Amino acid sequence: MNCKKLPVGAWIACCAAVLVLVSLIVYAINIGSEGYFQGASISNLVLFLILAIVCELVAVVLGQLEQKGAVGKVLDLIAGACRIVAPALIALCLINLIAARVEGLGFIYFSNADVAKEVQTPANLSSATGSIAAMVCLGVSMLAAIVAAFVNVRKKEA
Amino acid sequence: MKTNKLAAIMRGLCAIMAVLFVIATVGTTIADGYRSALDSVLGTQSFITNTDEDAARFKSDYATIEEMAAAAKDIAVREGEEGTVIMKNDNNVLPLATKEVVLFGLAAYAPYPYASGDLKAGNEDAVDLVDALEAAGIKVNETVKKFYQESILNKHIEMVANMWTGEEVPTVAYDHIYVASPGDWGEYQVVEVPPTEYTAMGASSDWKSGIDKANTTAICVFARGAGEGNTYKPGSAIDYSGNATGEDPLALSADELAVIDVAKETCSKVLVLINSGNNMVLKEIAAGGAHEVDGIAYIGVINDYQCTGIVNVLTGKVNATGALPDTYVADNSSIPAVVNFGGDMYADYEIIATEGTDSRYPGESIANTPAGSFGGSATYNGGMYIVEAEGIYVGYKYFETRYYDAIMNPSFNASSAKGATQAANWDYAKEVLYSFGHGLSYLDYTQTIKSVEVDKMPEGNVTAVIEVKNNSNQDGRFLAQLYVQKPYTEYDKANLVEKSAVDFLNSAKVDVPAGGTVEVTITVPTKYIASYDYKNAKTYILDEGDYLFTAAAGSHAAVNNFIAKQGGTPDGTTENGAVVTWNLGSFDDTTFAVENGVVVTNVADDADLNYWTGKDTVTYLSRQDWDGTYPINYNKVEIKISDSPRKDEWIKELQGRTYEISDTGAAVEGSDQGVKFDATQVGYEQFTNIDDPYWDKLTSEILIDEAVGAVIHGGSRSDVLTNVDNPIVIQNEGVSGFTAGYTDEATGKTYKFNIHSQTLMGSSFNPELAYEWGKVEGNSGLWLKRYHLWGTGLTQRRTPYNGRNYEYISEDPMLTNRIGYGILQGCADKGILNGPKHMGFNDQEHNRGGISAYMTEQKFRETDLRGFQGALEEVEGCRAVMIAFNRIGATNAAHHVGMLQKILRGEWAYTDLVSTDMMNNKYYFNAESMVMSGITQVADFATEDNHINQGEGGVDKTWAYLSVATVKNDKELVEQARQNLRYQLFAYANSAILNVSTTKVATWWDNALTGVRTCTAILACAAALAWIVLTVLPEKKKGDK
Repeated sequence: MNCKKLPVGAWIACCAAVLVLVSLIVYAINIGSEGYFQGASISNLVLFLILAIVCELVAVVLGQLEQKGAVGKVLDLIAGACRIVAPALIALCLINLIAARVEGLGFIYFSNADVAKEVQTPANLSSATGSIAAMVCLGVSMLAAIVAAFVNVRKKEA
Repeated sequence: MKTNKLAAIMRGLCAIMAVLFVIATVGTTIADGYRSALDSVLGTQSFITNTDEDAARFKSDYATIEEMAAAAKDIAVREGEEGTVIMKNDNNVLPLATKEVVLFGLAAYAPYPYASGDLKAGNEDAVDLVDALEAAGIKVNETVKKFYQESILNKHIEMVANMWTGEEVPTVAYDHIYVASPGDWGEYQVVEVPPTEYTAMGASSDWKSGIDKANTTAICVFARGAGEGNTYKPGSAIDYSGNATGEDPLALSADELAVIDVAKETCSKVLVLINSGNNMVLKEIAAGGAHEVDGIAYIGVINDYQCTGIVNVLTGKVNATGALPDTYVADNSSIPAVVNFGGDMYADYEIIATEGTDSRYPGESIANTPAGSFGGSATYNGGMYIVEAEGIYVGYKYFETRYYDAIMNPSFNASSAKGATQAANWDYAKEVLYSFGHGLSYLDYTQTIKSVEVDKMPEGNVTAVIEVKNNSNQDGRFLAQLYVQKPYTEYDKANLVEKSAVDFLNSAKVDVPAGGTVEVTITVPTKYIASYDYKNAKTYILDEGDYLFTAAAGSHAAVNNFIAKQGGTPDGTTENGAVVTWNLGSFDDTTFAVENGVVVTNVADDADLNYWTGKDTVTYLSRQDWDGTYPINYNKVEIKISDSPRKDEWIKELQGRTYEISDTGAAVEGSDQGVKFDATQVGYEQFTNIDDPYWDKLTSEILIDEAVGAVIHGGSRSDVLTNVDNPIVIQNEGVSGFTAGYTDEATGKTYKFNIHSQTLMGSSFNPELAYEWGKVEGNSGLWLKRYHLWGTGLTQRRTPYNGRNYEYISEDPMLTNRIGYGILQGCADKGILNGPKHMGFNDQEHNRGGISAYMTEQKFRETDLRGFQGALEEVEGCRAVMIAFNRIGATNAAHHVGMLQKILRGEWAYTDLVSTDMMNNKYYFNAESMVMSGITQVADFATEDNHINQGEGGVDKTWAYLSVATVKNDKELVEQARQNLRYQLFAYANSAILNVSTTKVATWWDNALTGVRTCTAILACAAALAWIVLTVLPEKKKGDK
């Protein structure tokens, strides 16, 4: 597979996969760092994001296989299905992350003065920022994955 | 368009629809979790209540909402009238002799609390101090008012984002205002603007010239804030300029004293109003102080309408009848409880921490560091402790007893240097400014005890008749207070049974015509004059000897009466009154050794630190040797858990392993027995008898999963149990009443009923007023269709520094007991589940979520728990209680089988709902221990979660080591959980909840979410189908037709 000859769709799908990977890293750093959300892992989030990355990459790889006929159609369907599933998985992770964090973020940023004084420690504020960063990354990844779903990853036939 | 391009578009659309479907589906679950909040914000209603008015067991006393609102307002005004305490009244400053006043101090124009919320209803027609004075015909100096209101305070509205919706909401703010929340054990700034700043802030340089000094009274108002999670730190004061002064934050600051000085300079008389739930230190302005003023009055923490009542007292429209619910001292460090306050860590607290070795949490590192008041980290939070070494000697019981012994028992060393702050040796006259129960009356009167009958039976009462004589020429209302002195014997000394020289028992208010006399009868259960002997008899005892009863205007007057009766020479500060003696011929350790069929004996030996250290590490305060037993700070003594002969047991308790799941036999799975929780199946027998077979059947229907799950995930509302079909009951907060508003559809007007003031109710000393408020609170629940409220606080005010004292009644357990009884009986009569909080020594907020409070069992039973006993044992229909956050000894209060199963459910025969406070730390709150202690709902604030299989892999979502598989062979645990739910359902059945049925309905946003889910699912399928078809179809070649 010659990377230089990859179509735009494949590049977008690769970008989406990289963005998901970045999101995963930001999330992992966030729950591994000192602060309010330390250790606050979300069930299946890592698994789903890895699956999303795999889906995008599978779609790219399948798109580069020069198969024709029935086999080619099946591969097209699998690659397409991967590009439909990937943004759905990312969306699932994003909304679960938001649901799990909204109360904590509200607690940190919008508590009344006496509580805020106790809660707004540098570690907790950093933790909250990290959590928001993970949400933003996931949001961008989801948009990229949606865009990737609209664009073909197969090379145009000569 | 080419087929493959069309296919790509369809695939993309399918992806978008799939994403929207996922968001809508998961979003629906999230929205359901926040249903109450969404309903409140969006104005929707998820549960409709069907009320059959004719069949209702509990009905409102008010035909219209206007009548309801008027009744609430009337109570609030009377709280102001009956709760305002005249502490000092010289030079005829009161009733206000001048028609013009000058108001000084930030709180004069913005009394605490200034913002509406839990403590302040915020009704449109709320009345502040200026409004009330002007309405009473008092002229408020305009010049000073103007520069305070416009230049110093500058009240304005700021837009603050709502924490859930992000919506900007208008919020009251000021340029300069006192700090409303002292924070948690930090510095506290006393932001009183000193007079040197007045002109710089906009006052004209000649602002004083317009004041007619001879005919004007200055009223200075000073406030101290409060709040949940807040604890004042002694010595933490910061002045207006931001400099740390090292002073007590509750003492009047130099800036406040400067305000008083300018008031004295400009006005002929000065009155200071104390606007706080925390005792302030008033030495500088009391008699003999460097800034002495003419008058001081306590006005507590006020709500919407109390100012009208307060002004009615200040102007003399009504007689002053309030009394101090706490002792005011010259220096708070003279209070023995303050010696051990705040807490610190065990020397080797780290040994509690685990690194993956706690079998419940394999692989997890769990620290033993303090957590914040609102949780947030993985810690057992069992490292911090205090020793409540003062024992029963809290507030006046310390000061008056030591005073009594200084005169009557010289061998007790009462006049030693220990605890003295005002002189080399301890001197009551120098240490105490105003005693418990003190309150000056405008109208001269006497209260004289005429007779006492003591029915020495388990259910008997002390009945005292007190004659109140109005010596004035005006009709008026008066306060009568009943006190007792119990004999302090050699047996007591030998067995460390402590006795206060004076105990408040109860009080009453009575209207007496000018020159007339009225007899008032005051009763109180006899059991409250017994003392707990934890050393020898290990039960309640009555010593042989003379029991002295008196009626007096405060604890100091009462103890003086006793001294005079016994031939001593009191200090002469009060007139000697009559004493009636009841003699008990022989020692009695049997009458109160059984209560409600349960043997009363020690249940909290391990609350004593000495139990753990195995030696006499702690010497608890004993009046037989004030010098030798005066508390030291036990946080400065090295306490090592590893040195304990009970080290393993201690560690286990501090790790929250009070109960551990074991194989006690297979639990029977619940199954439908053909009974339901509804009005057609619950009749008289079921209402009155929790052992009725109906309840056996009903609780046997509860599935194992739900039995444990509904207990450990029980708040802030109940969920429907399979087979039982119980109603969903929403909990409500508010020690001032329901915070929800009622909007009259006809007029569009909104009424708020949380108009009550706990502080002024306490200082009213009027259990009848408390009962009337309870009924109004209950009626408001019926109007609001809300039936479960955490509506009063009964924790003892152990020290002045607890940031939550404004929610509580008094330093005295019996005043708390009687006021609590009144409020909760009133609410119960209207069928409202009103739970008092926070039972079990939640007497400081600092590290409330884990601190160990060590004490003797006598203190355990006769102080904080005594405050709750009236409500939970005596009230007919008190059906809820919230448990404290802290530990009692090493045991989480919510795990404490001794307090909850043996005392509450056993001795007090309480058969209803028990809730934890906020469950914010799964390592501190242990699920199985809470089940076994009898908790019926753990306040985790989630919804639709009464299961232990909602976590990954079918385990509990919070305590992952719990699942049906791990509990099903512990039948004792499962059956206890079912028993707990029986108590809860029994409480619901006996309340206004069963007046009605509650049904969940779909709101517009439910329907919208359903629509989005359906549409996106259909569109996703259609787009997927189109994409598949277009992909499979052969691509058209150029030239194809």
